[in-house]
Amino acid sequence: MKHTSKYIFSIVLVLVSLLLHAQDKKTDTTIIKTSRYGVRVGIDLFKLSRAFYEKDYKGIEIVGDYRLTKKYFLAGEIGNEDKTVNDDRLNFTTKGTYFKAGFDYNLYENWLDMENLVYVGLRYGVSTFSQRLNSYSIYNRNDYFNESNTIVSGEKYSGLSAQWFEVVAGVNAKVIDNFYVGFSFRFNKLMSNKKPSNFDNLYIPGFNRTYDGDFGVGFNYTVSYFLPIYKKKTTLQVRKKK
Amino acid sequence: MKKLLILLVAVAWSSSSCEKDDICDSATSTTPRMAIDFYDITNPSLAKNVTNLVIVGEGLETGLRFNGISKILIPLKTTTDITKYRFILNYGSTDTSIINEDNLEFHYARSNFFISRACGFKSIFILDSENPYTLTDAAEPDQMWIQNITLVQPNILTEDETHLKIYF
Repeated sequence: MKHTSKYIFSIVLVLVSLLLHAQDKKTDTTIIKTSRYGVRVGIDLFKLSRAFYEKDYKGIEIVGDYRLTKKYFLAGEIGNEDKTVNDDRLNFTTKGTYFKAGFDYNLYENWLDMENLVYVGLRYGVSTFSQRLNSYSIYNRNDYFNESNTIVSGEKYSGLSAQWFEVVAGVNAKVIDNFYVGFSFRFNKLMSNKKPSNFDNLYIPGFNRTYDGDFGVGFNYTVSYFLPIYKKKTTLQVRKKK
Repeated sequence: MKKLLILLVAVAWSSSSCEKDDICDSATSTTPRMAIDFYDITNPSLAKNVTNLVIVGEGLETGLRFNGISKILIPLKTTTDITKYRFILNYGSTDTSIINEDNLEFHYARSNFFISRACGFKSIFILDSENPYTLTDAAEPDQMWIQNITLVQPNILTEDETHLKIYF
């Protein structure tokens, strides 16, 4: 066993020395890489298309980012949602507007003039909305009288709000010219939630469905346009054969 | 890239494990029933067990049967502010002389409270302060077996406390 590992080690050593030797034959040259800085504005197609196959949903989201440095982008979303949830025991409609702001960090090392993004980011989201309880049923474990317990309500709860943090992971790829197609997944953690009395914020625009805990998930599919503002030149050290 | 992958897995996992509020937990306090304790009329501090007590709601054929216990829970109607019951003691006994039926009706106000997404709402009942209950003899008079009733707690919010005491 010891003998074999020694043998492998020596092979690796030989290969490494060969590699080092090969590199000696190269000299460095520099090429200039231009990076474009600007604003990217887009729309969420996922929210728009949902209205076609989900009759109880209407939503729109505008996304945008601004490149700050090589890797960091200032990013945000603004949107509006109108959703009716029909559960076994509740039927309610939530309407409202939300705004999210934060940053994205590009993990993707672009080669030459490529401008793609594989990013992780963080957002702080704020939403103001209203809810209307359409109907509900009374939970009665001992329904001796066999009563129909669905009650039509129509009660409106307005002036509600919520704030949350969002962890974002996504991809944005340049398809043609300045057009980008991308998608992102979001994991949300509720920070504050102004609930109505005798009801709950079971759906928060921008945050999505709330569970017993304070967590929510999100997804968007975007098409966006990049508006270049200025260019920055960076020199790259590239090794070339003689 | 590795970081991104870990994050995506974490998101997928967390979203799949959040479905816990889809089923109404049986431990959740929902619409309460009225709790009635039975006491001995000759010794009012002593709990007394009922024998084959069947209570039948107005307009219903089948009743709720209680035997050998001194504490019962009876449901109230959640669609009207009044619930009428026939309280039949020694139901089905071969000695028909000990079978005794009394009518007891409850008057109350209802409010509905939100519990959760899975459970919906629950009703709670506040017994009428002027006229919480009416005790009458059966349609075919057979003397009353219920000697006295005292109201302990007019607010029926949970099943954990006694609302009414019946002496017989």
